[in-house]
Amino acid sequence: MTNFFRHPSKSLLSKLIIATGILMIIGSLIFWYAILKKQEKDLMSIAVRYSDSFIDFVNDSTRYSMLTFQRPAIQQTLENMVNTEGVDRLRIYDHRGKVFFSSDKEGVNHLVDKNSLSCKGCHTQPELSAELLPSPQRLAVYKSPQGIRSLKVVGAIYNERSCYTASCHIHPKEQKILGFIEADVSLALLDEVKLKQGLALTAYVAIFLLAISASLGVILWKFVSKPIGQLSHGMEKVAAGDYDHSVPVTSNDEMGTLAKTFNAMIKDLIAARNQRGLWTRTLEEEIAKKTEEIQKTHASLIQTEKLASLGRMAAGVAHEINNPLTGIVTFAHLMRQRVPPDSLDAQDLDVIIEQTERCAKIIKNLLTFARATPSEKGKININDILSRTIYMVKNQAKFHNITFNIDITERDFITLGDASQFQQIFLNMFINAADAMNEKGTLTVATRETNINGKPFVEIDFTDNGTGIQEEILGKLFEPFFTTKPVGKGTGLGLSVSHGIVKHFGGQIDVKSTVGKGTSFFVKLPLLEKET
Amino acid sequence: MKKILVIDDESIIRISCTKTLPADTYEVKSASSGNEGLALLDKESFDLVLLDIKMPEMDGIEVLKKIKETWQETKVIMITGYSTVGTAVKTLKLGAFNYIEKPFTPDTLLKSLKEAFEPEV
Repeated sequence: MTNFFRHPSKSLLSKLIIATGILMIIGSLIFWYAILKKQEKDLMSIAVRYSDSFIDFVNDSTRYSMLTFQRPAIQQTLENMVNTEGVDRLRIYDHRGKVFFSSDKEGVNHLVDKNSLSCKGCHTQPELSAELLPSPQRLAVYKSPQGIRSLKVVGAIYNERSCYTASCHIHPKEQKILGFIEADVSLALLDEVKLKQGLALTAYVAIFLLAISASLGVILWKFVSKPIGQLSHGMEKVAAGDYDHSVPVTSNDEMGTLAKTFNAMIKDLIAARNQRGLWTRTLEEEIAKKTEEIQKTHASLIQTEKLASLGRMAAGVAHEINNPLTGIVTFAHLMRQRVPPDSLDAQDLDVIIEQTERCAKIIKNLLTFARATPSEKGKININDILSRTIYMVKNQAKFHNITFNIDITERDFITLGDASQFQQIFLNMFINAADAMNEKGTLTVATRETNINGKPFVEIDFTDNGTGIQEEILGKLFEPFFTTKPVGKGTGLGLSVSHGIVKHFGGQIDVKSTVGKGTSFFVKLPLLEKET
Repeated sequence: MKKILVIDDESIIRISCTKTLPADTYEVKSASSGNEGLALLDKESFDLVLLDIKMPEMDGIEVLKKIKETWQETKVIMITGYSTVGTAVKTLKLGAFNYIEKPFTPDTLLKSLKEAFEPEV
C-alpha cells in the first residue's frame, strides 16, 4: 500500500485505478454532455411550442378586433398579453415592415429593421425584393444587452375568407399573408432551469464518479493489490533469507491458489535447503575425517619411510663394519693369549673384546631392524606366543621381583605373521617394562578384541607402573637409536624394530603414558577374518 | 694336518682366519676371489674351505656349487653377515657343512672347524 503513495508508477493498484478512473471520467463526461445537450434541446422545443401556441393565441385574441377594425382594442390586448411572465414584446406588422401594433407604444408606426431576423428570417434581400428563402426561419435566439437570452418567434397572419369578405374590404382576396405577429419571449427562466439541472447533473456525475472510483479502489485493493502485495512482500522476505515467512491465503480464487502455491514452494525450498545443509555438514565432516586420515597416513608414511631409509643405511654400515670387527676380535683374542692372564694388558684387551662384542650386538640389532622381509608368514595364535614368552621371561632373574597380572581373553586370536618375530616384539615389551620399573613392580598383560576402521584387530596391552614417559619424547620412541636407558644397556632399536614388524603385518603400536604412574603399550594386529 | 682354504675378498678376514688357526694343526691358504680359490683347488686338494657368501664377481653360492660339483669330499663352511643368514641356510641345502656369522671370535671359528673334523680329530 505504501508503494501506492510513494511510487504510483510502480504500484499495480494505482495503475489500475488511474486507468479505470480515466475511462470512467471520459465516459461520464460524454454522458454528462449528452444529457445536457438533450435537456437543452428538449427545453428549447418546449419553448418553441409554447411560443407558437402563444402566437396562435394572440392571433385568435385579436381576430375579432381585426375584423371589426377596432385598433385600440388590438393595441390593448397586446399590452395586456405582454404582462404575462416571460413575454417581452409583441408586435404586429405588415409585409412591408410597418408596425401597426406593439406592446411598447413607441414602436407603433415605425418600420421594422430590414436587416433584423423579422425580415431576414424569410426573405433573401428584404430591402430589394420579396423573394423568399428556400427554407424560411421563424425562430431566432438572441442576447439582450443585459445578457439575457430571448427567443424571437414570427408567425404569419393568413388571409382568410372572413378577412377579404369583411365589410372594410381592405384586403384583396389574392393577398395570402396579411401581416406578421412577432413575439419576443424571454428565455431567462428556461436558462435558469437549465443551469440548475446542469449543476445537479454535474454533481450527480461527480458523486457517481467518486463513489465508483472509491468502490473500485477498495475492491481492487482488497482482491488484487493486497494479495499481490503480500505475495511480493513474502517473496522479498524469502529472497532475504526469511524462510519462516508464509503468505496468508484469504480467498479461493486465483490469488488464493497463487498464495497456496507460493507457500508450498517455500516449504519445498526449506526442505531442499535443509537437505543441502545436511549434505554440506555430512560432506564437511567426511572431508575433515578423510583429511585427518590422510594426515595420519601421511605422518605414518613419513615415519615408515624415515625408518626404512635409516634401516637401509644402517644395514649397509653394519655389513661393512662386520669385517673389521672380526679382525679386531680375532687380534684382541690372539694378543690376549700372548699376555699373562692377570696382567694389566690382559684386562685392557678384555675391555677391547667386550666392547667389540657390544658393537657386534648393536650391528646385529641394526640388521634385524633393517631386515624388511620376514622370513616366514603363517597363521599364528597370539595367545600361544604371548603365553610362551611370559613363561620364558618369568624364569629370568630380571623379572623375579615383578608381579605379573595376566588378563588374557580365552579365545584364539589368529593373525598372519612370523612367530619368532612376534615373540621378539613381546620379549622387547617385557624387557622395556622391567627396565621402566627398575625390575620391581606390577606388569599387566591383556589381550582383547578391538576394531580399527571397522576391521577386527587383536590388542595386546603391556602396562607397567614404572616411571612413565614424558610427553615430549613420546613421539621419538619408535625412532631407531632413541633410548633413555643407560649407555650400554639399550641400543634404541627394540621399539623401532617392533614397530617395523608390526607395521609390516598391517598392525600398529600405540602408547599411553603418565609420568610417575606408568606406561601402556598397545600392540594391535589384524585378525584373520573367519572364512565363510 | 688339515689343509684349509679361505676364500674372502676382505683381507682382514683372510688374515684373521690364518692367524686364528694354529699352524701345527692347520695348513691355511687363502684366496681373495672365487676364481682364485677355484684355481688353487685345481692345483692342490683341501680338506675344508672357509667361503664368504658376499663377494664381487663370483659370489659364495656359485663357488660352493662348483666346489660340490668337482670336490665332493671337501667340506665347506660359509662365512656370512647377519643379513644373509637366510642365504646361509639355503647353502646348507646345497651341501655346505655349516656357516658362521660375522663378526666371529677365534673360539667360534675353532669350534666350527672342530665340529667339521670331529670324527677324525
